[in-house]
Amino acid sequence: MKLPALRRAIAALAAAPLVLSACLGTAVTPAPTTAPPASDAPAPSPVISGTVTFWNGYAADGDEIKTFTEVVLPAFQKLYPNVTVNHQEIPYDDLRTKLVTGLAGGTLPDVLRADIIWVPEFADQEALLALDEDMPDFDQIAGQVFAGPLSTNKWKDHYYGLPLDTNTRIMFYSKKVFQQAGIAEPPKTIEEFEAAMAKVRDTLGEDHYGYAEGGTGPWNVLPWIWSFGGGITNDDLTTATGFVNGPATVAAVTKLKDWLDKGYLSSSILGGGVATSEQFGKDQAATILEGPWMPGIFKNQFPDLDFGYATVPAGPGGTQSVVGGENIVVFRQTQNKEAALAFTRFMLSEEAQLAMGKVGQMPVLKSLAGNPELPDYYPTFQEQLKTANARTPVPAWPKIDEAVSNAVLKALRGDAPIQAALDEAATQIDALLKGN
Amino acid sequence: MARARRFLPIYGLLLPGMLLYATWAAYPLISSFLLSFSEWNLTKPTVFIGLDNYVRALGDPFFWRALSSTVGYTIVTVVGQLILGLGAALLLNQRIPGRSVLRLIYYLPVVTSWVIVSLVFLYLYNGQAGALNWLLRDVLGVIDKNVAWLAEPSTALWAIAVLGIWKGIGWTMVVFLAGLQSVPDELYEAASMDGAGSWARFRHITVPFLRATSTFLLVVLTIGGFNAFISIFVMSSSATGTVGGPLNSTDVVLTYMWKQAFTQIDLGYGAALSFLLAGAIAAISVVELRLARRQAST
Repeated sequence: MKLPALRRAIAALAAAPLVLSACLGTAVTPAPTTAPPASDAPAPSPVISGTVTFWNGYAADGDEIKTFTEVVLPAFQKLYPNVTVNHQEIPYDDLRTKLVTGLAGGTLPDVLRADIIWVPEFADQEALLALDEDMPDFDQIAGQVFAGPLSTNKWKDHYYGLPLDTNTRIMFYSKKVFQQAGIAEPPKTIEEFEAAMAKVRDTLGEDHYGYAEGGTGPWNVLPWIWSFGGGITNDDLTTATGFVNGPATVAAVTKLKDWLDKGYLSSSILGGGVATSEQFGKDQAATILEGPWMPGIFKNQFPDLDFGYATVPAGPGGTQSVVGGENIVVFRQTQNKEAALAFTRFMLSEEAQLAMGKVGQMPVLKSLAGNPELPDYYPTFQEQLKTANARTPVPAWPKIDEAVSNAVLKALRGDAPIQAALDEAATQIDALLKGN
Repeated sequence: MARARRFLPIYGLLLPGMLLYATWAAYPLISSFLLSFSEWNLTKPTVFIGLDNYVRALGDPFFWRALSSTVGYTIVTVVGQLILGLGAALLLNQRIPGRSVLRLIYYLPVVTSWVIVSLVFLYLYNGQAGALNWLLRDVLGVIDKNVAWLAEPSTALWAIAVLGIWKGIGWTMVVFLAGLQSVPDELYEAASMDGAGSWARFRHITVPFLRATSTFLLVVLTIGGFNAFISIFVMSSSATGTVGGPLNSTDVVLTYMWKQAFTQIDLGYGAALSFLLAGAIAAISVVELRLARRQAST
């Protein structure tokens, strides 16, 4: 790489206004001059017109994009014939970079499908519309969705979005490997889980693992930390000392290290290894923790894979997992508020939620729970969601994420004693929480 | 009047290029320079804070660590490319059969996309199924346990540096070949007749003739080393889930700058880091050129 890299980096930092405004032209259509519809009307309207730019991170390797463009959008278009939705399926990994560039240049989408963990950060920067103020029927819609996913939209005194889809990680187990190792039932407790992993190791040898994990970040290790009764901070989000380095968290990390040292846990948790989905798909790992988007991907990648679902093995803290998912938010600078809100409203309709639900985007509407048209593996996820927690909803989250990830990595690698590594993280996170 | 008429068409032809340059290079450069003196907020007004971002960088241990990794990466890749590129050039300057094909093969990595070669090397370095572990463990038997090359803080940056060297050999070779071809054959013939061996001919004819070429390569490769980004970005994030991972061991100034700007949304600080890097590159290039000039005059 010669000079262009630096130039590109600088350009990304500073040319954003020029580049983006030239290429994207967000919502150029002026706001409708006709009167906005009555405030109590979620009903469709040809009166609303204009362009709504919608950035999403729908996946190309499943059926998400296909369903969104071929089922959901045409249905919206039928109700709002004069609204054009300019949708961009930005790969999830690039979405944040693109958003920051957009924020820098003032060329943001009108509506965004945002990771639940981004909402406090963007809300704190006053980039988002407070929907509980700007959306007349907010309370009505909020009453129709699950409380857990809804809570991830709250920052300080307002709600800055609505939940769009929800998910959590549950245990996928390979029926074939379980059978080969002589394991009859999926493990329900951490003791049973450990015994099952020992069986896999003893019967199938050292290139087979009881469990494969892809990293040491909170998304990866929080189900274990919480199931052991530990955590990252107190409930008020004011301190990490005594939590991220408390005895229960230390016990969870100690257990993970023990499993790793014994060869139960694949070394892929330290990085640099084979993707966990590939280890699982090739029967090298008996269990993984995964989300509801994964069965669709397995169906395409490993059509013969025979696997089952179970909740995370329970420890002293019960069976716990980590809540993921996306919220739908509207940016404050939108030129087309009515159309943006109409689109947001439609994405929460039963029709849209059911269509996306069929391809792995778990609906957030209470009315769709147990709907027979939805995939048959949802019940285990719904069961897990009852005891799943959200990651710390604070603007400093990206830094907290890195602190936890590095501390657990150091501990598992043996670079530092477990307690010392977590103590260091506690000090760092305490300082970050003070900055909020 | 006549002068103006003569130059007017020239300026007219230059104008489009100048406009493009102003839009895509000068304007971003100036605005990011201004940005580096500001505390930049997403939606709140930007605040001018003078040199604060620069002062903060000088007291930021992660910046210094990234800078020292950048220097280490640059030294290793520049020396590696110079030695191996010169070796390849000397070999392929001989009249051997298949010379053009070999030159082409050596040059192929240069024209291949960084992202693609990074993905290929990710596979080679995989800690559980990689080709390198297979070679070292199963074939040669020099290691008894697989090594996760990109997940070990002690090996990750150097594994990426190997890719940097491999990809750069071909280009360095071509530049050296051009230099070698400027050496008159008569000199070698005359030296042979005077009884000079191959080492003496290399030392006293080839090396002095390649001095200008080497200086050029040294400066350009150093700039390249300081700007390494794509390979580190792709390989560290794919292998460890964190740009600059594991444990910040592959953080160079550009990845650290990228994280400040795009993960932490701290664009003013990111801009300041980019100008510190540009300053470091300029300073080192001047030193390299001075040294080369002094050598040439002695």
